[in-house]
Amino acid sequence: MKKKIGVYICHCGGNISDYVDVEKVRQAVEGDEGVILSKTTMFACADSNQKEMVDDIKDRELDGVVVASCSPKLHLLTFRAVVERAGLNKYNYVHANIREQVSWAHSDNKMGATEKAIQIVKAAIAKVRNTESLEPVIVEATNAVAVIGAGIAGMRAAIELAEAGSQVYLIEREFFVGGRVAQWDDLCLTEETGKELITRLYDQVMSQKKITLFTGAEVIENSGSVGNFNLKVKITPRHFKLRCTEETLQQAIDVCPVEVPDEFNFNITTRKAIYHNYPSEYPQLPAIDMKNCTRCGECEKVCPNIDFSQKTEYLNLKVGSILLATGFDPYEPKKGEFGYGEIDNVVTFPQFKRIVHYCDDKLVYKGKEIKNIAYIYCVGSRQVDGENKYCSRYCCTAIIHTAITVKKKYKGIHNYHFNRGIRTYGKAEVWYDESSRLGDIYLQSFEYDPPVVEKSGTQTIVRIKDMLTIDKEIEVVADLVVLVTGMVPRQDNSIGNLLKVPRGRDNFFNEIHMKLRPVETVIDGITIAGASQGPKNIMESINSGLAAATKSFSLVNSGELALEPTVAKVNLEACEWCGKCDEACPYNAFEKVETGGKFIAKVNSAVCKGCGMCLPVCPTNALDLIGLTDEDVESMIDALIPNI
Amino acid sequence: MSIQKQMKTLEYDVLVVGAGIAGGESALNLADLGYKVLLLEKELSIGGKMILLSKVFPTLDCAACITTPKVSEIARHPNITIFTGAEPQKILKKGSHRFEAVVLQKPRYVHVADCTGCQLCEEACPVSVTDEYQYGLVGRKAAYIPFSIASPRAAAIDIDNCTLCGACERACPTKCIDFTQTPEEFLVKIKSVVIATGFELFDPLKIPRYGYGKYKNVITSMQMERELAPTRPFNTVLRPGDGKMPDNIAYVLCTGSRDKSVGNPICSQICCMYSIKQAQLLMGALPMADITIYYLHIRAFGKGFNEFYVQAQDMGVEFIKGKVGKITGKENGNLVVRYEDIKAGTVKEAEHDMVVLSVGVLPNQGISGVFENEELQLDPFHFVNQVDLMASPAKTSIEGVFVAGTASGPMDIPDSILSGGAASAETTSYLRKESL
Amino acid sequence: MTGGKVNNSPRILVFSTEKISDPAIDMAGLLKLHYPPTVYTIPVPCSSSIKPRWILHALEQGFDGVFIAADGTDCPYGESCTEKTGQLMSVTQQLMKEKGIDPARLKMAAICSVCSEPFVKHVKSFAEYLSKSSN
Ligand SMILES: Cc1cc2nc3c(=O)[nH]c(=O)nc-3n(C[C@H](O)[C@H](O)[C@H](O)COP(=O)(O)OP(=O)(O)OC[C@H]3O[C@@H](n4cnc5c(N)ncnc54)[C@H](O)[C@@H]3O)c2cc1C
Ligand SMILES: Cc1cc2nc3c(=O)[nH]c(=O)nc-3n(C[C@H](O)[C@H](O)[C@H](O)COP(=O)(O)OP(=O)(O)OC[C@H]3O[C@@H](n4cnc5c(N)ncnc54)[C@H](O)[C@@H]3O)c2cc1C
Ligand code: SF4
Ligand code: SF4
Repeated sequence: MKKKIGVYICHCGGNISDYVDVEKVRQAVEGDEGVILSKTTMFACADSNQKEMVDDIKDRELDGVVVASCSPKLHLLTFRAVVERAGLNKYNYVHANIREQVSWAHSDNKMGATEKAIQIVKAAIAKVRNTESLEPVIVEATNAVAVIGAGIAGMRAAIELAEAGSQVYLIEREFFVGGRVAQWDDLCLTEETGKELITRLYDQVMSQKKITLFTGAEVIENSGSVGNFNLKVKITPRHFKLRCTEETLQQAIDVCPVEVPDEFNFNITTRKAIYHNYPSEYPQLPAIDMKNCTRCGECEKVCPNIDFSQKTEYLNLKVGSILLATGFDPYEPKKGEFGYGEIDNVVTFPQFKRIVHYCDDKLVYKGKEIKNIAYIYCVGSRQVDGENKYCSRYCCTAIIHTAITVKKKYKGIHNYHFNRGIRTYGKAEVWYDESSRLGDIYLQSFEYDPPVVEKSGTQTIVRIKDMLTIDKEIEVVADLVVLVTGMVPRQDNSIGNLLKVPRGRDNFFNEIHMKLRPVETVIDGITIAGASQGPKNIMESINSGLAAATKSFSLVNSGELALEPTVAKVNLEACEWCGKCDEACPYNAFEKVETGGKFIAKVNSAVCKGCGMCLPVCPTNALDLIGLTDEDVESMIDALIPNI
Repeated sequence: MSIQKQMKTLEYDVLVVGAGIAGGESALNLADLGYKVLLLEKELSIGGKMILLSKVFPTLDCAACITTPKVSEIARHPNITIFTGAEPQKILKKGSHRFEAVVLQKPRYVHVADCTGCQLCEEACPVSVTDEYQYGLVGRKAAYIPFSIASPRAAAIDIDNCTLCGACERACPTKCIDFTQTPEEFLVKIKSVVIATGFELFDPLKIPRYGYGKYKNVITSMQMERELAPTRPFNTVLRPGDGKMPDNIAYVLCTGSRDKSVGNPICSQICCMYSIKQAQLLMGALPMADITIYYLHIRAFGKGFNEFYVQAQDMGVEFIKGKVGKITGKENGNLVVRYEDIKAGTVKEAEHDMVVLSVGVLPNQGISGVFENEELQLDPFHFVNQVDLMASPAKTSIEGVFVAGTASGPMDIPDSILSGGAASAETTSYLRKESL
Repeated sequence: MTGGKVNNSPRILVFSTEKISDPAIDMAGLLKLHYPPTVYTIPVPCSSSIKPRWILHALEQGFDGVFIAADGTDCPYGESCTEKTGQLMSVTQQLMKEKGIDPARLKMAAICSVCSEPFVKHVKSFAEYLSKSSN
């Protein structure tokens, strides 16, 4: 219990004293238990008063301080810093808000305002009597970060983290790095192709000693919390010891009898069980897909580097922070959606990218030369009836850019864009403009009246009620229909479930706050980057990768973390472990432990955020929040009731 | 080309130019990592445009509630020094990790440390002029606090309009007003520079057929933003012409954007969304009002944006795909909007009692001229050029100089913050390279 | 105007939340939206951290009513807040019934960080209810 409390009541230059009789307030509290000093001041926050406070605290050896002034949002931290400068632990400071919640709110009732101010200051004094000195919870932090996903966002973040000085484990599930961007050739924004960009990033990754890259790797277990996550990683072998010559490799591929759809090409081609996605893909070491391999051993006969004895390995990593950059999946249209899967010249945008990649001077699909291309926008996005209400952001720009490329690359191309309002935002507007100038035709449908794709004899016809020509029904005979498919979250969310990262309304990983903390998640220490958080183009993915790298780095860089000490506390005697607190806690801060022959709850103060959601659920009232104990609250309540 | 000696010399790790949300984010990240940052802001308060906004799309949280804690975190940070009313005059690259800047700080005529923001000087000052922080909607005094949530929340004297009557000096209880202050130049030595000078708003006087400046009830979106902000001048939404509460408000999108005739071919990326936001806020503030948005395409592309757009449609905001040709005023202050209705294929007219021009984002070009011995390249649209757009979006044409936020092109707040984060990341690794 | 006898108005204890509803109550002051000065606030981190015993303590010590200015869906600690605050409301009201206290003396509404006007409306009508029911 404090015995040397100092109280300062601020005039705020009239803001308070015009309505509250501050001298009367001072008189009313000067005799309160423990108060040895009470003053009014013109401006409590002014430098001169701050100096006076420091002197008072030192001279009179104050052990508790109250300032009654404006809202704590403005100056709580100011005055905490003042008491700290005077050598008093800052948690022995209590703030009373008598401006926003008294003088201004009751400027119509001076007497009422003064009485309320008295009660509020008394309550603050009651609280400061109980305060304890607290120290931040210090946890050790491993200066290492696990980056999950080696797409562009993950690779770029890894490079940044390594340059800044952290150890980085870059964990990629596939046997090859680059994510989606490796699958596109021409890119919008610059002249660089996807492969060139990936090569550039991969070279940087490999030149960083601090980065360890794992391919064919997946995180399968996670424990611990910010500063100290323990990850178990499963590494699937690629069954290749060393790189072999192109020739031997080709022979090995040729002899492999297994043929499966090639996912890298979105199943428009097939590949063998022994494969690489394209020559010189990174890492430059082919892999054997054991899900489809029949172990016939034919390849082994031609290539000495193949090694079927390689085993799955398990690895334990300790990291201070996890950066998730697992990207997106392209939307897969349902069978029959705009003829997909039923009409043979209907393809998706990603497939179209691969088709264009394989066609040099003529655009040919399934043996037929393509001249008329119909692009149907927003497939899987902006759904009126479906779940995906969002716009996928990248697609208008990327498809228009691709359409321009196609028109320039092949002769006689006619592009028809069946859109729902073009969203070439920002500088991308110039491509929309260019494509219109090149004679591309834009037809816009209503949200509720999408275009229809039909087979009529040997022809594929796209029909639309065009908003831009007064609802005229227009028909286009298309050699190829490209469904401009949007982005959806990775369908396999095992990593999200494992790390308990929440998803937003759109099912992508959710940030804490779009503006204040856009790359952090509610799980302390886990950041999100790239398209895993929502649709993004490359530049936007990189920006978010870099921003996430900064946040992850700032957590682990100093080797330790200071956390707020105002966390939950368990009363050992009262606790009977029923697990209700564990259920209520949104952060998993509770642990069941055995002491003195019984089970009780233990709070991990490094994980507890001090929200207090556990407090009301405990049936034996064994929980308190430090700084908001029953004694604190009830003594404040008592003080708020005038004892007349 | 060397800089004179007599200036006071200061040394920091990083100079951040512009204290909007992007510059602020960069400065905070760098300061958290232990780097010493000098943050320059040419205005009297930090916070950029965002601190003056009402609520923000697509979450509709209040801009002030988000900005003020950030701003005070910046202001309090022991590793950040802030100069308001200050701009770089020139910046020279002296070598790898060596820059020198000459910074000019204009006098505020107030000792900020002593000012308590009591506003007694404002009351005492006899001079009234229009308030630029309220975008001309109301007046202010020559001795004034820029706006209620400004940081620093300290008075300033607008010396151009001040009559030197001395009333404020007499009224000030802490004697913090000081007319003897003079402009001050500093020589600042730094290792790296972050450009976060933000954007400018299109001036609708350049499109005379929209009647801005001629008809009082044609206002800009930034003015509407102020009418809707919690620290708003009128406490409600009014027509500036006659103080009447409007009940039929129109928005003209793409004002000054996507328009080669005014020299700006690109899309501003934010105006569709902020107009939709204002429409929703107006429906809350004036439940009886009709809101019409004249648009060409709605760019609702970001996280939660399309949903926000659909929500506005469901609330009853009318969206007309149409190109506005001309706005004319009527005697009662109402406005006639003549537009080409694209769906109907005809030219139509509609009467509204207030028109908001959704003005676009223009580059703030001045900064490139400050660099003297190396060229800070601009892109074809005069924004700061991002030389490695896809792998290092914060890199500029000068090694060691990075760009954050709308200085490199139009973007909304979430993107500006990410870009601020990216710029601080690249600055960090650049600074690390020196120490290796 | 001065005066306005304080003791006439019912005493209301408001549990506000540090990040969400307390700023709204501050802003009510900033906008000079008046409400009875017998309304006092104690800020807590989150509205689902309020213990029923605190509420009962307040009512037993002389407060006429308790108002929870809840985070609602804006809660920074998670979506379950609305549900949890609702639960502690009903638990407390059950306890109030058992003790013969009118459960309507406890009220809750979600107050967002800019909901100053709704806050004032809520406490005013609550005060009205409380003064009617005490007569
Ligand atoms: C058809 C199409 C065309 C496009 N064209 C352009 C363009 O021209 N310009 C442009 O700027 N953008 C374009 N984009 C967008 C671009 O593809 C994305 O911005 C980019 O791929 C996002 O990168 P990312 O790293 O976030 O995700 P991804 O590229 O999806 O990479 C994620 C990585 O994480 C790995 N991974 C996933 N789950 C796990 C796990 N559990 N464990 C370990 N690793 C995992 C994946 O294997 C992958 O390597 C296009 C997109 C599409 C669909
Ligand atoms: C009407 C309107 C409504 C909006 N609503 C929203 C919304 O609801 N949601 C949303 O996400 N976005 C919204 N925005 C967009 C948002 O304002 C911007 O995304 C954001 O302000 C960009 O921040 P910035 O830091 O890049 O630039 P700015 O805010 O422009 O900050 C730049 C700062 O640099 C300073 N500066 C400039 N030059 C110099 C110099 N030479 N020396 C020193 N300092 C200098 C400026 O004074 C300024 O303070 C809106 C914009 C407008 C116009
Ligand atoms: S970016 Fe364009 S195509 Fe993609 S979902 Fe949005 S509006 Fe549709
Ligand atoms: S964001 Fe909308 S209003 Fe602004 S320029 Fe782009 S299309 Fe026009």
